[in-house]
Amino acid sequence: MDVEPPPTVELSRVEVRYGRAAPVLHELDLQVTPGRPVVVLGGNGSGKSSLLRVVAGCQAPSAGVVTGRPRHVGYVPDRFPSQLRMPARSYLRHLAAMHGSDPSEAPALLDELGFTGGLDVPMVRLSKGNAQKVALVQALCSRAALLVLDEPWSGLDAAAAAALSSRISGAADAAVLVADHTGTAAALPGARVLALVGGRLAPASPPRPMVTITLLGADPLLPHLPADTAVDGDRVVVRVPVADRDALLSWALARGCGVLAVQP
Amino acid sequence: MIVARYVLADLLRSQRFIVPVFVYVATLGVLFGGDPGPAPAGWPASALILYPVSAWLAITTANSEDPVARLVTVAAAGGPAVVARGVLAACLLADVVLAAASAIRPVIPIVTHVYPYPAIALLGGGLAHLATATAGTAVGLLCARPVIERVGWSLLAAVTVVVVTGVTPWLPPVGTAVKAIETVPPDLPALAVDAAIGLAMAVVASLLSAASTMARRTPRPR
Repeated sequence: MDVEPPPTVELSRVEVRYGRAAPVLHELDLQVTPGRPVVVLGGNGSGKSSLLRVVAGCQAPSAGVVTGRPRHVGYVPDRFPSQLRMPARSYLRHLAAMHGSDPSEAPALLDELGFTGGLDVPMVRLSKGNAQKVALVQALCSRAALLVLDEPWSGLDAAAAAALSSRISGAADAAVLVADHTGTAAALPGARVLALVGGRLAPASPPRPMVTITLLGADPLLPHLPADTAVDGDRVVVRVPVADRDALLSWALARGCGVLAVQP
Repeated sequence: MIVARYVLADLLRSQRFIVPVFVYVATLGVLFGGDPGPAPAGWPASALILYPVSAWLAITTANSEDPVARLVTVAAAGGPAVVARGVLAACLLADVVLAAASAIRPVIPIVTHVYPYPAIALLGGGLAHLATATAGTAVGLLCARPVIERVGWSLLAAVTVVVVTGVTPWLPPVGTAVKAIETVPPDLPALAVDAAIGLAMAVVASLLSAASTMARRTPRPR
């Protein structure tokens, strides 16, 4: 029998209010299913982090219920504390024990993410990026059925960001909830992108991935280039959707321009 | 207890446990230094002093982890109740160590003459200290995070509760345990009841502490 797997985590009419101010989350309904990562967009202070803490089970909602949450949740807070005394190795061993997972997987994933700090020095001495990698490894090695990641790409370099994306995509049997403003999460396979506005979730059109192309000797072509174009001395910087990249490059090369750089 | 091990590892690294433990060890040194005398020697005083020391240590233990790291721990361990149990276990372990140290201190020959301490006296001394230590744990857990978030209020609340309840001789478990250990031989059944009451109080305090996380319907923004 081909049965749709049940939604792992379901929020119904969840409300979060701080003091007497207007609610941050208002009668919010959400289902997070394995294989379909939910990506939450929203401005600063829109309640993304509150929503993620409620889903992760470390904050009680002011009203409403969360059902189907597994016992252990892999949670990465938006700002992992920088003052932890424990070395990364001990921290990851303790956290793996709490999750009931295998602590020997952590070093490999740290390598994959390009962790360059010491495993045996207090985490206070790690850089922001390296501390963030410890927090990510703690959650991603947990084998938890629910991953709640608050801005996981922040502070990561390009290689680490790519490794993180592929690792999240690989966790297909886990329900994933991500808050992300970099646009990276929207590219995850099966991602459902929602915007948190005024305490409610609404489908958001995923931002189209863009690419920046720097051309030399393209001044004569300026009238024909897209609107999002800037001139920087003898260079012309064009920003186009990824889908149009190859067409623009071959068009510009055919007209004698040089390509200096293509960057995400 | 996986969480208790983590809490203890973090606490030991923080060194914040050193001040209350040092205060207590110094107290034992004063009370039992020179010539401790026969039982109960300084036990009524040391049992009474263990009450605020244990409350202090419980607040230190509960507040030791960074609040944001605590969120990660709560998610990983399986909820606030699991973490609260781990904190309780760490506090009770400290209580047992400090109570045992107080009970056996008079029979360790340091410099002076050793008086005969029968087993019944040692057991009474241990139970009396266990009663006040576990009561201190209960007070500390109710005055620490997540119940009281700010350490200044924690201090004021704990000092108030300890002063009011510690000097009331008829009030179990602290007042009655201090009174029961003054007699020779000690009233063992009464002391056992006091220790059981203290332990029960600590367990209830831990449950209330866990419930306070989930019952706070309008938390402060973090």
